[in-house]
Formats: sequence, C-alpha cells, structure tokens
Amino acid sequence: MSFDLHRPASVTEAIDLAQRFAPTARYVAGGTDTVIQINRKKIDPVHLIDVACLPGMSEITETADAFTLGALTRYRAIETHPAFRVNLRALQEAASVVGGHQVRNIATIGGNIVNASPAADFVPPLLALDASVDMAGPNGQRSSPLLNFIVGPGKTALLPAEIVTNIRFAKLPARSATAFLKEGRRRAMEISVVCVAACLTLEASTSRCASVRLAIGAASPKAFRPEQAESYLLGQSASKENFAEAGRLAAEASSPISDVRASAGYRRALVAVMVERALETCLQRIREQDQ
Amino acid sequence: MNAQTHRVAGHRLPRRDGVGKVTGKHVYAADFKLPGMLYGKILRSARAHALIKNIDVSRAAAIAGVRGIITAADIPQVRYGTAVRDTTVFATDRVLFMGHAVAAVAATSSEIAERAIEAIKVEYQDLPALYDPEEALTSDIRIHPDWETYKALPIISRKDNIAGQARIHVGDVETAFAKAHKIYEHRFTTSLQHPGYTEPRVATADWDANGIVTVWCNTQLPFDTQTTLAEILDLPAARVRVTVPGIGGGFGGKLRIGVEHFAALLARKTARPVKVMSTSEEELTAALPRQASIVLLKTAVDKEGHLLARSGRVIVDCGAYAGSGPGTAAIALQVMAGPYKTGALAFESIAVYTNKVHSGSFRAPAGPMANFAMESQIDMIAKDLGLDPLEMRLRNVVKEGDPGPSGETHTSVSIEECLRKAADAIGWHDRNPEPGRGKGIACSWWMTTGGSSGVYVKINPDGSATLVSGAVEIGTGAITGAAQVLAEELSLDLTDINVTGVDTQAAPFDYGAQGSRTTFSVGNACLAAAKELRRQMFELAAKQLEAPIENMKLQDKHVVAGNKSISIAELARISRLAGGGLIAHGTAISPAPPYDPARVKNHPLPVWNTPSYHAHAVDLSVDQATGKVTINRYVVAQDVGYAINPTYIEGQIEGGVAQGIGQALSEEIVYQDGRVMNANLTDYKMPTAMDVPEIESIIVECRSAAGPYGAKGVGEPPCIEPPAAIGNAIAAATGCWPNSLPMTAEKIAAAMRARHP
Ligand SMILES: Cc1cc2nc3c(=O)[nH]c(=O)nc-3n(C[C@H](O)[C@H](O)[C@H](O)COP(=O)(O)OP(=O)(O)OC[C@H]3O[C@@H](n4cnc5c(N)ncnc54)[C@H](O)[C@@H]3O)c2cc1C
Repeated sequence: MSFDLHRPASVTEAIDLAQRFAPTARYVAGGTDTVIQINRKKIDPVHLIDVACLPGMSEITETADAFTLGALTRYRAIETHPAFRVNLRALQEAASVVGGHQVRNIATIGGNIVNASPAADFVPPLLALDASVDMAGPNGQRSSPLLNFIVGPGKTALLPAEIVTNIRFAKLPARSATAFLKEGRRRAMEISVVCVAACLTLEASTSRCASVRLAIGAASPKAFRPEQAESYLLGQSASKENFAEAGRLAAEASSPISDVRASAGYRRALVAVMVERALETCLQRIREQDQ
Repeated sequence: MNAQTHRVAGHRLPRRDGVGKVTGKHVYAADFKLPGMLYGKILRSARAHALIKNIDVSRAAAIAGVRGIITAADIPQVRYGTAVRDTTVFATDRVLFMGHAVAAVAATSSEIAERAIEAIKVEYQDLPALYDPEEALTSDIRIHPDWETYKALPIISRKDNIAGQARIHVGDVETAFAKAHKIYEHRFTTSLQHPGYTEPRVATADWDANGIVTVWCNTQLPFDTQTTLAEILDLPAARVRVTVPGIGGGFGGKLRIGVEHFAALLARKTARPVKVMSTSEEELTAALPRQASIVLLKTAVDKEGHLLARSGRVIVDCGAYAGSGPGTAAIALQVMAGPYKTGALAFESIAVYTNKVHSGSFRAPAGPMANFAMESQIDMIAKDLGLDPLEMRLRNVVKEGDPGPSGETHTSVSIEECLRKAADAIGWHDRNPEPGRGKGIACSWWMTTGGSSGVYVKINPDGSATLVSGAVEIGTGAITGAAQVLAEELSLDLTDINVTGVDTQAAPFDYGAQGSRTTFSVGNACLAAAKELRRQMFELAAKQLEAPIENMKLQDKHVVAGNKSISIAELARISRLAGGGLIAHGTAISPAPPYDPARVKNHPLPVWNTPSYHAHAVDLSVDQATGKVTINRYVVAQDVGYAINPTYIEGQIEGGVAQGIGQALSEEIVYQDGRVMNANLTDYKMPTAMDVPEIESIIVECRSAAGPYGAKGVGEPPCIEPPAAIGNAIAAATGCWPNSLPMTAEKIAAAMRARHP
C-alpha cells in the first residue's frame, strides 16, 4: 500500500486537489472503508485527500425545523447526542451497532453514504427520515435527496471532485417515532444480513398512520423504500395485522442475494419480520410519548 | 482448601508474564526484527487440484528489491509430517488445494515481495478435484497417487484417499442391538474452524557464520519445529536453533510448522535474515484449522435408558495432507464413548484426504465434534423415552473403578458431581422458564496428554530461582502454574521465580505446550527439580550448620534444622565458592495406564492419561421468528484435580467456552468449489465480547494420582461441550435439534419452519 496523503485546510482546497490529481485521487475521511479496499486491492489510489480534519464538517446543528449533520460526524457523536434520544432513536440505534468502539470513534457518516454499500447501516435511518445530501464541487454547491444520491452498489451521484458537506433532514411532527433493527451473526463487528429503519407518524388523535417511511438495507442492490408497504399503511390503523402485511409487502419488494452471510430466502423472511417489528417499536414509542 | 495447605500453589497470584503483556513491553514473535532483515511472501495456488506445467519467475526476479525466489526445484525433496510423511514445503508437480504454497520470495519490503509474488507466472492444467470427504472414500480420483511410497507411523492404517483409520471394539455389539428396547441412529456434521489466535504465524530466520540457523517464531512446539526444520533443511538437528520470543495464542494451530521453513529457506538463499508472517487471508486458507467432520452414531438402550451398545463412524476431512487428521479422528472414538458405561462399542474413525486446506489439532481435537454427536443423541433418546436428560446421564455415567473404552480403569471420577453442580447452578428443575427459552446440559471427559518434560532450575545468589523450561508460555498462565509449584516446594514466593524464554539450544526437552499438559507436566518436572535442590541445599547446610540432614526442612526461604537456620541466598553464595552452584535437572513423564490392546486398533493414542471430567449447562433464548440465539447464562463445572491457580483455570474455562460458542453458533470456513468464500475476519465470524455472556466457573477438585498436588489437565476441555450443551438448549427452547454446526440463526429458523410450516 503506498500513496501520497494530502491534508487540505478547506473544502475549496480539497476540491482543487481532487481536480488536480483526478482520476487517481480519492477523498478519505475515517478510512475504515478505504483502507480495507486498498488492502484487498479493490482500489489503488495514488493520492488520498484527507478530509477528516476539515473545519466545520463534524457538527450536528439543530434549527427550528431541521437537523444538519456534518459529513464528518462520527457515529460516537450520534450515539451520545441528546437530541436523538426521543423520536430519532433510529439514528442512535444504527450508530451504536456500526463495527466496534474503535470504528465508531473514527468512521464518518459521510463515508458510509458515499461508500454506498447495500448493507450500510446508517443509510436506512437517513432514508426513513427522507434526508438530503449537500455537496460542494468545482461548479459550486448542490443538494440531492439521499434516495437519488445512492445510485447502486458502491455508486453515487457525486460528480468528479465533488465532496459531501452535510446531510439534512426535517424534524418529525408530533406523534412520530423511528426505530432501527439489524440482524447478523454477531452482535458487533457485523455486516448487516438485513437492516431495517422505520419512521411512523400517527394522526393527531387516532391510531391511524399519517405518514410511514420504511427503508431496508442489505436486501437489494441498494437500500430501498418499499413504497407499496408504505402506502398500504397510510390511513390504516397501526395494528399488528397491518404491520405484518406491510412486512409481507416489503419482503415481496426486496430482491436479496444469497451469499456466504445468508441465503436470499432467509433475508426475505427477515425483511418481513423486521419491518413488522420496527413498526411495532415505533408504535410503542409513540404511545410512550403520548403518556 | 488449597490456600490452607499451600502458601503459593492454589492461590490466585498474578502471572509472571502479565505485566509485560498488559503494558505492551512483551516482545511477540511478530514484533521481532533483525537489522538488514528481508520480508518473505508466499505464492499460493489459485487452483484446487492441478498439474503445474511451468513456473516462470523471471519477471518477479527482475523487480528491484527482490533478493531471492525459491520453488520446489530449489530445495531438498523431503516429505514430512507427524502421522504420515506426505507433506512438502512447496507443491511439487501438482497443487492439492487453493492456498498450496508454490513459491516464496524475499525482498526488501513486504510490498515488493507481494508485487513479486503477483509477477510469478504459473501454468496449471486442472485435474478433477474432491471436496466432499464421503465422495473421496469411493472416488477413483487419488489426491496422493503415490501414498504407498510415503512413510508413516507403523500404527497408522491407510488406503487410497484414507490417511488413517482406527477402531475401538468392545463386547458383542450385534447381540446387544438385537436385544435392545430401542435403537437410535443419527448423523451430525461439523465445520472447519480456525483456531483464532490473535497473532498470525510468523518466523524470522538467520544463518550464522557456523552454518547454524536460528528461527525466532511463535511455535507451540519448539523441539518438534526444530526436528522438522532439520529434516526439511537436511541438517543435523543441532544446527537448527528454535527460539520463541513470545506467542500470541496458539490453540493447537501452531503445533506444526507454519512459516518457519519458508523463512529458513529464504534466509539461506539470500544470506540475509528473513521474516515471514501470514496474512489473515493465508490464515483462513492455508493454516491448520479444526477439521470438518461427519459423525454417524447408532445407540441401543433398554427401557430405563441404560446404554447397551453403540456403533459409530467418524469421518474427519483432513484436507490435502494428513496433518493431525488420523490422530484427531481416532481420538473422537474415546470422546464418543464418553464418560458412560456401555457394554458394547463398535467405533470406527476415518481420516480422509480432500482438495482443501490441511488441518491441525485445534484445542481438544475431535472433542467438540464427537461430543456434539454423542451428547445431542443422549438428549434425543431421553426425550423419546420421556426421561429427564440429566437423569438419563446420571443413570449411565462411569463410577470409580469402571472400565473405560480401552479397558483402562476410570479413577478419581467426578462426572456425577460435575453434572449435579452444573445442573443445580443453571436451575435445572425449570428447563423451560418461558416460551422460546430452554436449558441444555452436556458432559464429557478428556485426557491429560503425556510426553516428557525437563527443567533446569538454579538458585541465584540473591535466593531467587531461575526456571529454564522447553515449554512455551502460550498465554494460558501454564508456566506461572509450574512456577507456583516450584516456589511452593522451595519455600519461595512466586515473584522469586524467574522464567527464561525457550531456546532449543539451551533448554531441556519438553513435549510442548499442547494437550492440557503444560502445568501438569512441567509442574511435575519442577517437583523433581525442587527435590534435587533440597538435597543439594541440605547437604551444604549440614556442613554449615553442623546438623543432620534428616531433621532439615525448607521454611520461609531458609534451611531450618531445629533452632538453627541458614538462608537459601547464603547457601547459593557458598555453593558458588564450593563449586558449581545450586542447579538441578528435573524430569517428568506420565506413563500410559494399562489397557486392553485387543479393544483398540490402529489408534495412535490408544488410552488416555489422567482423564478429567466436566459438565456444561446453558440457559438460552431463541427468537421464534429469526432463529437468533441469545445466551442468558452459561455454567461450567470442571474437575481440575487440584486448582494450582484458580484465576487462570477460570481464564481457560471462559476462553474455551467462547471458542465453543463460536463453533456452535457462528464460525465456519466456507468452501465452494474448492475456494474459501470467507477468507477474511469480516466474514469468518468469531464471537465478539458482545456475543459471549459472563461464564460461571465451578471448579471441582477430585485429585489425580499423577499430577502435581493431584492436578489434572485443564486447558482443552472447556471448548468440548459448548456445541452439544447449546444444541440441547436450542432443542429445549424450540423442539428442533440442529444437527449441523454452526447452528446459525438461519438453520434454526429453517428447522422451526419445517416443524411448524
Ligand atoms: C471493522 C469494521 C467494521 C465495520 N462495521 C460496519 C457496520 O457495522 N456497519 C456499516 O455500515 N459499516 C461498517 N463498516 C464500514 C465503515 O466503517 C463505514 O461505512 C464508515 O461509515 C465509513 O466511513 P469512513 O469515514 O471511515 O469512510 P472512508 O473509508 O474514509 O471513505 C469511504 C468512501 O467515502 C468517500 N468519502 C468519505 N468522506 C467523503 C466526503 N465527505 N465526501 C465525498 N466522499 C467521501 C471516500 O472517498 C471513500 O470512497 C465497518 C468497517 C470496519 C473497518
């Protein structure tokens, strides 16, 4: 493994370096995907542009109606942030099962979405929150829904030399909750066999679903939202039967593979169970808030 | 109890190697460096079974920084191996598995060596390959067409793809089966498991001006490595010096030569020191894992659940070379007999070659595989007969004086005590506390491996002692245990014992850190050395104190005779002037107990020394939808004979159970068409701290006649019972018996679905 390491002081300088050394340059943040890919000879960058120290990109900012997470936010910061303890629990649940402590202290959420693994754990909760991605590049800044940002396994909509600066999502209305579930062979240091995030909002005074967003990882080439399952629940009562049906529809919409970690059939069965359970957890959390 | 009778032995004292290891000062073999050292890398076959048509190293040799390349053509043609001498350093005319070494390169950096490896061009011609051990038994394909020309231990019986076949036969099995109330027949499978040591296999070699090669490595058996290296290098053993700076775990995976020969050969070729260290990928494709196995077991019982007769067949997949396969397979037979009285036994073991990685002697070789089959089946029978599984076991366990499978006599038997203690601790009376939750129990016995140990002990002028042993401290605290015995016998403190590193040139022979024997055997050698030192000290003291030897004893670092005394330190100083100093050679060997050779055929380990007895009990929950297992509690009751250091015994129990949980639930090297599909530590799933519950150890002490203060072997047993205990608990929780390891959530979910479609 050998490469030149560059330490830009600003986003503009980082973009300049990336342009100058394209196509053999890569951004690196925590390096927890990049270094492994170099080791396994999947990539062979000549220049690594270290963005981990760029100022102002690790902040979690709360405004009246939204949260902005800097692309360099570490999982540890999410796990411990008090604002995510109530209806944004999915973020903490996902952050707390990424790798082990060492990984969570250095790995960034920006790295997770740009790496665009179908099994990336932080992507489903962000999809369930309908998050957007802010980017800066040679032609200025732009923004894209995360759903469109991830194009396929390992592929994003980033243009050459573009850098992710922030991830944003709106605050949830009253009577909302989120949940994240992960299944794998181990309880830590594990790549998801399936992971599921749910975001549920109930109508003001009924138990009918006002808004449902589900996101599923590791069960298709990229994390996806099972639209039929979501729309099935809209306006329906938040019942065990309906959640189970949503799980069934989500499983139907998934297109998992068989590999050394699990068979497609088991993955599909997990999607059904986990969607149902994630929705039940959301419901329970909303009930707790109601009290 | 021990603490009352002994001052040092039996106490929870900190280990001698502890501070260095926790402060990072300890030098492991992987840390070892020499000036001017080159780095070696191995080119490994990308084909499972193929003829080598040509090897072209010219492009590799031209790379700047490459200092030497070797292939089979450059070295003596030697076949080595423990049971069967079938192994070569490099593939010769054929590669036998993906991962088979084809060439080695030494270069000024490991990156350059790696690039050079990639630049070597090998032309292969594929041959039909065998991956399934049962297919290998009947196939016409020969993995070793010349097997008849190989040398082997005379006891080993071989044929075609079978590297070894052993039998245990007791009583009249056919009549017993004919008279049985019921007969049960099951098939179990277990998978390939890596020993999971933290430090990869590593060696640095250097040749000196006298033509002696020194190898700094992390072997568990320095003397075995010395012998094998001497054969490979075609040198007298005295010209090979093996020394172990430190070893980051072994678990049986570092018994046999790993990378030492590559380092020594590359160093000879380049006339420079060379270091070779395995990568994770090499560890998972070309190390010495625990064999995968197939166990077929048939058992006859009477109405009350007494075992009348058993027949069984263990097929052990040894991979491309016999390795430890024949011995491992044979040991399975004693494990399958278990700590049970059975009138008739007809067991057969088969170690068979396939085109996969060759395997080794991972902690309690064959133990968990055979125990998984045997103890799962006991529960299946109990359930069918409507018996409590604990009660079924208690009806059948051996008692003091009962014969073992080889016709030996069971002595200092504690199996009933272990079973009852484990069951009580887990709350056996309530086996299904809630839906989806169940408890399981399993028990076993295991040997304390024999083999000889020698130690030198000298008393230093400050009154401390130096212990020179040929046994490495593999991380278990075993040498601290032996040092506690020595300190006890010399009336010293444990901190007065200095332990040297192992060096085959200086240390007396030891059979090595293997087979639960280190504390046991080195401890016995320490007893002998201490006795000799007492003789020397008393003789010297007799002159100084003008007192008769008969009345002397060692007390608080002094020789005491009535109201006269002299310190050990003083005696050590005097002895230097008197000539030679206080120094002793202590030796120990445990002879095999008497047995009936008519019962055991072609078995390299026909009878067990100083067996130990143990029982495990587990309480777990199974997610009814996903099949995921959560272990709530895990209890081990293990008879250690005498607990020389309870803390390190608990460490052995906890670590062994963790490995057993891995084998039970998550670990497996997965092959598909001859290729390892998970050759990395992301997808090879050793349990993490989050997956292993707190393990409750109950130390049972039923003293042996042969071990120091009555000790028995401790290290291997804890990994034997977990698969069976966990499998039985899963069955209690779900009604389904997983009969294949690892029992993944996916397999359990499938079994539950099949039961309740
Ligand atoms: C032991 C271990 C365990 C792991 N466990 C998990 C797990 O449980 N779940 C999981 O989802 N992942 C896991 N991972 C993967 C990895 O840790 C995560 O994907 C992590 O979020 C990657 O972040 P990073 O900062 O380390 O990325 P890096 O490796 O630095 O970067 C990853 C990719 O993103 C690009 N990149 C990084 N930042 C930016 C940016 N701001 N703008 C544009 N491009 C950028 C890089 O060029 C690279 O292509 C694990 C990794 C390891 C080593």
